[in-house]
Amino acid sequence: MKPAPTLSAAFLESAGQSLPKALLELRKQRGTALVDMPLPTRKTENWKYSSKYLKLTDEMASTLPSQGKALTGQEVPGYRIVFLNGVIQPEASEFPKADGIRVASFRDLDDQEAAELADQLDNTLDDKAVQLARLNAARFEDGLLIRLKPDAVLDQPLFVIHEVTADASGSAFPRIFVDAGRHSQATLVEEYRSSGSEPVMVNTVTEFKLADGAKITNVRLTMEGENVQHIGATGVRQQRNARFESHTVGFGGPLRRHDLHVRLEGEGGECKLNGVVVTQGKQHFDNHTTIEHVAAHCNSEETYRNIAADQSHAVFNGRIHIHQDAQKSNADMNNKNLLLSNGAEIDTKPELEIYADDVKCAHGATIGQLDEISLFYLVSRGIARREANVLLTMAFINELVEQIPLETVRETAHTRLNQFFDQTFQEV
Amino acid sequence: MLSIKNLHASVEGKEILKGINLEIKAGEVHAIMGPNGSGKSTLSQVLAGNEAFEVTEGEVILNGENLLDLETEERAREGIFLAFQYPVEIPGVSNLQFLRTAVNAMRKHRGEEEMNAAEFMKLAKEVSKQVDLDPSFLKRGVNEGFSGGEKKRNEIMQALLLQPKLAILDETDSGLDIDALKVVSDGVNALRSEDRAILMVTHYQRLLNHIVPDYVHVLAGGRIIKSGGRELALELEEKGYGWLGIKDEETADSAAN
Ligand SMILES: Nc1ncnc2c1ncn2[C@@H]1O[C@H](COP(=O)(O)OP(=O)(O)OP(=O)(O)O)[C@@H](O)[C@H]1O
Ligand SMILES: [Mg+2]
Repeated sequence: MKPAPTLSAAFLESAGQSLPKALLELRKQRGTALVDMPLPTRKTENWKYSSKYLKLTDEMASTLPSQGKALTGQEVPGYRIVFLNGVIQPEASEFPKADGIRVASFRDLDDQEAAELADQLDNTLDDKAVQLARLNAARFEDGLLIRLKPDAVLDQPLFVIHEVTADASGSAFPRIFVDAGRHSQATLVEEYRSSGSEPVMVNTVTEFKLADGAKITNVRLTMEGENVQHIGATGVRQQRNARFESHTVGFGGPLRRHDLHVRLEGEGGECKLNGVVVTQGKQHFDNHTTIEHVAAHCNSEETYRNIAADQSHAVFNGRIHIHQDAQKSNADMNNKNLLLSNGAEIDTKPELEIYADDVKCAHGATIGQLDEISLFYLVSRGIARREANVLLTMAFINELVEQIPLETVRETAHTRLNQFFDQTFQEV
Repeated sequence: MLSIKNLHASVEGKEILKGINLEIKAGEVHAIMGPNGSGKSTLSQVLAGNEAFEVTEGEVILNGENLLDLETEERAREGIFLAFQYPVEIPGVSNLQFLRTAVNAMRKHRGEEEMNAAEFMKLAKEVSKQVDLDPSFLKRGVNEGFSGGEKKRNEIMQALLLQPKLAILDETDSGLDIDALKVVSDGVNALRSEDRAILMVTHYQRLLNHIVPDYVHVLAGGRIIKSGGRELALELEEKGYGWLGIKDEETADSAAN
């Protein structure tokens, strides 16, 4: 049997040295652990449908340059952090400054803060489940630290713009760590964009630690170009009565992967995960989510919708794991899928592992096409066929888009959705 | 206005319409009655352009134009309107958005300026009053969770907004209580005009008391087997369909419902 391909050594070569010592140390350790890491193949369960899209060439191993680019993103209102190829650009950013709120670049941490952070990083994700995102810990050049003291409330949403310039092949490894103290609150928006057309990889990790009663809303817009392979992971750990809300809107690409892993570790915790994916052409998008009910009396609610057009391919894998002590868990997972062409493919798989006996767990997954009778009803009123298709497709995801708590993000999503519709439904 | 000649149509290989002939002139109101399953809805759907039904023979001319050559949306823009026997629920598309998109599609076709949200809201509120639907129905999904009667009123509201040349009403009176029947009939009567024709499918003579037809036709087994004036409806009510040489049990059943 042919040995499984491993991660090329080029991907583990030394990166820039601009981080505090403790973080450089951590990075080195993590890199050593990744030597000979097998790359996912068709036989790797959690990459079964997606490994064929993964194309890591040695040219992509180099770190993309983090300087010398005019930056977009200034149109974003309020607080704003701009990452360029994985490195924060202070002059393009607008850091929040308020009592009890520390928002800083990893590069600007003093030794003590850096040591403290090094202890906390990488404790939210299961290494085996996010094998490729582990690369981030071996390669990050910078990162965003957000610490909210108890009761601190970030008065406006914080936008993080992840910009990648693909003028040459290479990779970027942005990273965010959020430590939300007791009863603190914040909204974090991550927007992934790109320019240039060379093949590149974005490998990104975002982590949230929610102490008792903390409330975090995370919005994630994945919108890079056709040359960008995106491998992202979000890890969340919630203590008592903490609430986490996630709204993701993803547009397909040559490879798109997002792992979202939430652990409800304290009683009364709640999470709500909404996701929308649209793919067209030969694009791909793969969402893997895991919700772990570790403690009793927690609620989780998950709603994902995929729309696949042309020959594109969307994947959803939703795992709910209810631990033995997690009595009175309430878990509700729903995944609906819309195929806009016969050539498109959607693979969906709910995975339930329930070890407690007193739980409520509902799940459902459907795959369908636009309803002919609804379409006929609309066009019988003089509505153009294209418009009718758009109305019905939007109807499929509208409920989720409307729940995104920020108007500017909804607008960005709508603009991109309209581009999708323009390309998918031709004028007749 | 509308001329149907020897129209044959089938669905899934089964012939439903077996040679329909019908002439409708502007300003006229025609009623079509007939037993369940005789092809009344099929005729309505074929005229509106439902591709589930295949036209195998015959022609339909609307104001000199060959209707069967037109796409569904083009037919609507040329003035065909079908009030569905079973209006479709479309969750996720608000009724308001649906109505405005439809009205603007028509306006665009006529070379008129599109209505903005505020202008349309005003118009929609007026018309919803006319059919006695609370304006809150505008915010709901298209027909989503509407009662049977509310759906029918929503259909008439669309007819009033779109001002068609030929309104085909497929059992718009079914499932209405007495008050709603009055509201819907008033709506239909408001549509009556010299340059508009109405084709209504019904099982009940009572509707024809409110909307007095010029002609009544009996459709059975995919053919129009008898035509007459409004007195034909009274005769049918009295005698059923039996005297015309067709079974009437099903019809009696449905009338009892
Ligand atoms: N999509 C379809 N597939 C198969 N058969 C169909 C379809 N639509 C209609 N039919 C059949 O065509 C026949 C005529 O149906 P249609 O709905 O036109 O009757 P109708 O006269 O409107 O009856 P009703 O008074 O009950 O509304 C029926 O036998 C019906 O079962
Ligand atoms: Mg019918």
